[in-house]
Amino acid sequence: MKASINWLKEFVDFSAKPIEIANALTMAGLEVEGVEEVDGDTILEVNITPNRADCLSIIGVAREIAASLSLPFKKSKIPVIKEEFGAPEIEIKAPELCRRYASRIIRGVKIAPSPEWLSKRLEAHAIRSINNVVDATNYVLLEMGQPLHAFDLNNLTGHGIVVDKAGSIDKFFTLDNEERALETDTLMIWDKEKPVAVAGVMGGLNTEVTLSTSDILLESAYFNPPSVRRASKALNLSTESSYRFERGVDINAVVTALERAVDLILQTAGGKAGKLTDIHPKPLALRQISVGLSKINKIIGVSLKDSEVQDILTRLGFDNKKTGDTFVVIPPSFREDIQQDIDIIEEIARLYGYDKIPVTFPKVRLTPVKVNTHRNLIKITKDFLRRSGYSEVINYSFLNPSVFDKLRLSPDDKRRNTIKIKNPLRKEENSVRTTLIPALLGNIGLNINHGEKSLRFFELSKVFLPSKEKLPEEPLHLGAVCLKDSRMPSSIWEGKHECFYDLKGALENLMAELKVKDYSFVDTDSCEPYLHPGKSCTIKVNNEVIGSLGVLHPAAAEALELTGDIALFELNLSSLFLHILPKITYKSLPKYPYVERDISIVVSKDINAADIENAIARIDSNLIEGITLFDIYTGSPIPKDKKSLAFSIRFRAEDRTLTDAEVDVLHSKMVSLLESSFKAELRS
Amino acid sequence: MVEDILSIKAIAEEEIKGANDLKAIQSLRVKYLGKKGVLTDKIKSLGSVPKEIRPEYGKTLNETKNHIESILNQKESFFKASELESGLKANRIDVTVPGNFIPAGHKHPISRVLDEIVDVFSSLGFVIEEGPEIELDYYNFEALNIPRDHPARDMQDTFYITDDVVLRTHTSPVQVRVMQKNKPPLRVIAPGKVYRCDADVTHTPMFHQIEGFMVDEHISMGDLKGALELFLHAIFGEDTGVRFRPSFFPFTEPSAEVDIACVMCGGTGCRLCKGSGWIEILGCGMINPKVFEMVGYDPEKYTGFAFGMGIERITMLKYGIDDLRLFFENDKRFLEQF
Ligand SMILES: [Zn+2]
Repeated sequence: MKASINWLKEFVDFSAKPIEIANALTMAGLEVEGVEEVDGDTILEVNITPNRADCLSIIGVAREIAASLSLPFKKSKIPVIKEEFGAPEIEIKAPELCRRYASRIIRGVKIAPSPEWLSKRLEAHAIRSINNVVDATNYVLLEMGQPLHAFDLNNLTGHGIVVDKAGSIDKFFTLDNEERALETDTLMIWDKEKPVAVAGVMGGLNTEVTLSTSDILLESAYFNPPSVRRASKALNLSTESSYRFERGVDINAVVTALERAVDLILQTAGGKAGKLTDIHPKPLALRQISVGLSKINKIIGVSLKDSEVQDILTRLGFDNKKTGDTFVVIPPSFREDIQQDIDIIEEIARLYGYDKIPVTFPKVRLTPVKVNTHRNLIKITKDFLRRSGYSEVINYSFLNPSVFDKLRLSPDDKRRNTIKIKNPLRKEENSVRTTLIPALLGNIGLNINHGEKSLRFFELSKVFLPSKEKLPEEPLHLGAVCLKDSRMPSSIWEGKHECFYDLKGALENLMAELKVKDYSFVDTDSCEPYLHPGKSCTIKVNNEVIGSLGVLHPAAAEALELTGDIALFELNLSSLFLHILPKITYKSLPKYPYVERDISIVVSKDINAADIENAIARIDSNLIEGITLFDIYTGSPIPKDKKSLAFSIRFRAEDRTLTDAEVDVLHSKMVSLLESSFKAELRS
Repeated sequence: MVEDILSIKAIAEEEIKGANDLKAIQSLRVKYLGKKGVLTDKIKSLGSVPKEIRPEYGKTLNETKNHIESILNQKESFFKASELESGLKANRIDVTVPGNFIPAGHKHPISRVLDEIVDVFSSLGFVIEEGPEIELDYYNFEALNIPRDHPARDMQDTFYITDDVVLRTHTSPVQVRVMQKNKPPLRVIAPGKVYRCDADVTHTPMFHQIEGFMVDEHISMGDLKGALELFLHAIFGEDTGVRFRPSFFPFTEPSAEVDIACVMCGGTGCRLCKGSGWIEILGCGMINPKVFEMVGYDPEKYTGFAFGMGIERITMLKYGIDDLRLFFENDKRFLEQF
């Protein structure tokens, strides 16, 4: 809100410079965000928090200046209006939505531009000058925070007002010449026949004050704040008036503001005023709030004396009396925000000065701290992937579902069933994501466009899946993607292997560090529609599929306009974390030496190394301690459809030193098994 | 006779001195100390030396033999060592080639700062809790004293899933969830993603927050100041000025906004701080008794403070990042700097 220093000075005498006033207001909770000199005046830009409806006016800000600088606040005198004819007829049919309605008629006004002092002041406060009558209402709105409305009396059928809901009327032209759809509950101002204003939001075109207007009916009212807010939201129309009504105006100042406006109109537009109508069925009973001195001091962490508290309350205009330890406080009608003792404690802290509250340190009671293992696992996961060369990315949770077609997901794929946002920022991005893959591939695309050739990214984030509960499931997913240019390795040590193995290695390394029990990479054809059917596998833990890993399918790559050797995986980390060995158990060290034998075989390319290893291990699980694949070779002199594999096998017995003869037996068993099961040929 | 030995010694010394490789040393060893060596011959014929000079002659001969042997050994090991060295020198590798390692990936700057903040509070005994990112209106607003149709809802532009379900606009709902399940004393921080329906130069529709709160029987605003000053000094440096000023959040009362002295100008005023010398860094306050009532705590018995801060903002200030959008573009050239 804007506030002119000159205008403020009409209500509080201060000699401090504008910048000092700005600072005092900021430190009292009315943050001044700008100080601008305009035409011999200084305009403060004050940020008023939603609880301080009383400060949405010049007198409100002036009261704060007076309270924080301990200066007297000059109350304006209520003008005495000379009444020359009768009062308007007002009826409130929805008393729960309109607690007070006051009005006077002024006849014989001459509509003209406002005097310069008035129009200048409005414009300095970002309100356009219209004519002397409308400007007078806006002037009082700025000065006192009470919105007023002037109707052209001669367009009001029956020259009276009825306050009632819209009911069956569903369309209405507002002053801004827009036809607005109404809800049945919207509170309207009616004449004897038709609606003439959306209460508290905007007047109607049908009763607008124009150059030909001679008689007006002036409205000053108190409308129920939530009702005005609902109306304003429904119409998508926020005005200076609705802004103040929805925060709450001072119900006890409704008539004062009316009189101020009538007086101003008589001065600037001439005319004669009639008698006052003031419908105020249930006058406000001021709240009485008790607060103990000891509680004040305990919560703020100070040791204020009675007199200091009393001084602050008095500066704020709060009636107060002390009995025993307790202050009985009566806040004024414009402080609707003061509801309970803690609100008064805040007022005291605020005016005492937050900066004067001594810094202390909380005394804590020792309590057992539960270790957040989940968080530790996340930390290990992130650290390990980084050590494997992968950088962390963070993407938005929003998703454009059209990407699912590019990823070739089948129409019934679960991931297409996304949770939708009712009011997305961009219409296409109307979902929250069910998979991390699209964003990760997007990151690759962006960086390829910058000329990057080697990229390794991972993201660890929740995805959102519909559930039977009110809230969706939010499993934690881990995704990673690797792009390599094998012709131009990023370091001289980097091998020429496919980036599939780079990514798989990072994941296996992580599994080992996390001590995941019983995981495997299972070769299935086309485990994911966006993965290369010959270069992909599912990731299983304890026989549960938790994700998949593979090379991006060329068709998906084309749809996403990506090129290069790209491998990626996504897995459900929440599921993975359930399969972590609970603790490490020590096994005693072997007492007898091992014997190592190498075996080199040629098999068909279709045979997976893991199947061979498993077969070897089953020959004698007691004596075969370990199997290591140490070479894969294709090319001359190996036939085209075959590959050569070399394993190193370590034998050991728990209770004796193995003899060569024993190992020979095992070795020949192994050879005949490989020959029979895998049609393997021994390489010499 | 003795003189003969001494002259042999002198000649031998001279010859050994002149030897310049291992081979020369080996042939000199044969010449003097071999089976038929000069000194070996003399020792063999010791019996023919006249008795009266034999002791002295014998002693000199023995000393000479030992002496020659020792300097031969010395010289021999010298040549052996230098031969090894020159052999090794010929067998060289290029030590300037980079070592074999996988270049480590980078930590996202948001994670970096988030972890740093979590570490500070962990060291003060705060435990980490989490809550859902898609949240009930009840936890996001109602239980935090933000009723429907209240203007305080304007403080946060909300993404709605349904009328009752929202993308959480702040991490504060975790406060309510944790308090519902646990009894005081409590010291908790809750980091995570939050969402607002807002996108411009200073807003992204998703960002990160850390919520923190402490509840016990005698927590005061002074304690709130102490705890947050401790934290801000740990993050921004011991000498950073800190200012508390009144503000409004529906779930705290009294509420405060905390400013730090501008990281760019140090408080004299510049573009970053819009001339004020201060930069808004977090919101905080004493937990509103209405929130305690919602979770079934006795507001007369317990007091507590809560605070919340945006991680992007702190990260920008710490690293001098001037464009918010960089955080979610994931440009390698940006990520590599952290
Ligand atoms: Zn600055």
